[in-house]
Amino acid sequence: MKRRVAVTGMGLVTCLGSGVETNWDAVTSGRSGIGVITHFDTSGFSTNIAGEVKDGFDVDGSIPVKELRRLDRHQQYALVAAHEAFKVSGLEIPPADPYRCAMIIGSGMGGLETIENGHDVLKNKGPKRMPPLVIPMVVVNLTPGLLSMKYQFKGTNFGLVNACTSGSSAIGEAYRLVAGGHADIAMTGGTEAVVSAFSVSAFSAIRALSTRNDEPQKASRPFDKDRDGFVLAEGAGILILENLESAKARGATIHAEIVGYGSTGDAYHLVMPDPEGTGAYYAMKFAIEEAGIAPEDIAYINAHGTSTELNDKIETMAIKKLFGDHAYKLSISSTKSMTGHMIGAAGAVEAIFSIMSTKTDTVPPTINLDNPDPDCDLDYTPHKSIRRQIDYAMSNSFAFGGQNAALVFKKA
Amino acid sequence: MDDVEKKVVDLIAEVLVDVNKDNIQLDSKIVEDLGAESLDIYDMIALLEDEFGTEISDEEVEKIQTVQDVADFIKAQKSA
Repeated sequence: MKRRVAVTGMGLVTCLGSGVETNWDAVTSGRSGIGVITHFDTSGFSTNIAGEVKDGFDVDGSIPVKELRRLDRHQQYALVAAHEAFKVSGLEIPPADPYRCAMIIGSGMGGLETIENGHDVLKNKGPKRMPPLVIPMVVVNLTPGLLSMKYQFKGTNFGLVNACTSGSSAIGEAYRLVAGGHADIAMTGGTEAVVSAFSVSAFSAIRALSTRNDEPQKASRPFDKDRDGFVLAEGAGILILENLESAKARGATIHAEIVGYGSTGDAYHLVMPDPEGTGAYYAMKFAIEEAGIAPEDIAYINAHGTSTELNDKIETMAIKKLFGDHAYKLSISSTKSMTGHMIGAAGAVEAIFSIMSTKTDTVPPTINLDNPDPDCDLDYTPHKSIRRQIDYAMSNSFAFGGQNAALVFKKA
Repeated sequence: MDDVEKKVVDLIAEVLVDVNKDNIQLDSKIVEDLGAESLDIYDMIALLEDEFGTEISDEEVEKIQTVQDVADFIKAQKSA
């Protein structure tokens, strides 16, 4: 028996600020959070721009200052986003039945910056100087571990690593736990802090990043013919999912329902998407089928829309293949035009934006879409947000490695 | 407290996030009184080694019980 799954809490940390309201206001106003990198010295780098989370992101002071040195930044972002999501949900610590509360948090790279710093110590000072907290700051499953300690969630618990699809995969798998009756409540989402010297140089080595260094806020331009790569960013998005019936019974505010999840693997290439977009097509198709709706019921797609040559074309192709004529009636946008690409957090942050679109009947824009690529001929909501009734929204995530996930959200 | 003792207290306070610094006395036992666990001890050793440019072997750690023991050990190392 499949149970209905409600979203009862959401929390965000991005380069646009902390908090769902702050972020929704920014993206619906078309504001970019991209700027010059301050986390490290970019001398010699071909890219020196990113979407960095700014100091002061812990708006409620939810992490004791003394604990900060024990937590990698990707863990700090998740704790702050989780704090907001949990507060909004109205749940209590400990939960009524801790073993029915699950935790799945995604991250593409975990504590990459801590690995870099640890490696510096190893090379410069020797093995005996390695900081003892490196391991718990690095491994991806420590974020759900830390959150389970804080919120006393004792059911299924794991970290999920799926590159740019991590956040969406985590939400999809958590949704299945609740829908399938394996958990009643799940905390899920994604977190990432990869604006570091290692990561920027590594993504530059595969020519994935925009080098529009003189115009940071114009660098992320999905579907525009002058795009030249994605803009790396960081942040976290955390959601609370709940069995709809019990959420209603306790009088929780329902922000949306998750009604469909589709996931596939391209089985094609290390970093390039399948040129036919078949994996993306089936991920979207399966999600819509699971929702029990027709493609025409989808009003808005929060696209993966990375601002890379290949993604934007192939995603467009896959949408056209699935939606036919309706592809031209859909509202589509890439909020990465404003947030940059948060890798393992992207899908979770964009899931929250998709939910907000159903709550407010507003489509956030794709900024910087000045000259659409002729191969990208759908309505990507250029420059300005629009109002439109949105009963169902879909969010897409596609990863290096060929992993694809699509989530369908229904207006509450 | 002399400078070394004060610095030792600072570093221990930095590691033991749940302990109020005012409650860290020279005769406080690091495990029994302050509640340090193994990860805290390793963290402290790393900080102390960095701060004082000394090396504290695992055998020596076994002998240390109080905050004073730590300070005395460092002072002995420095004068050696």
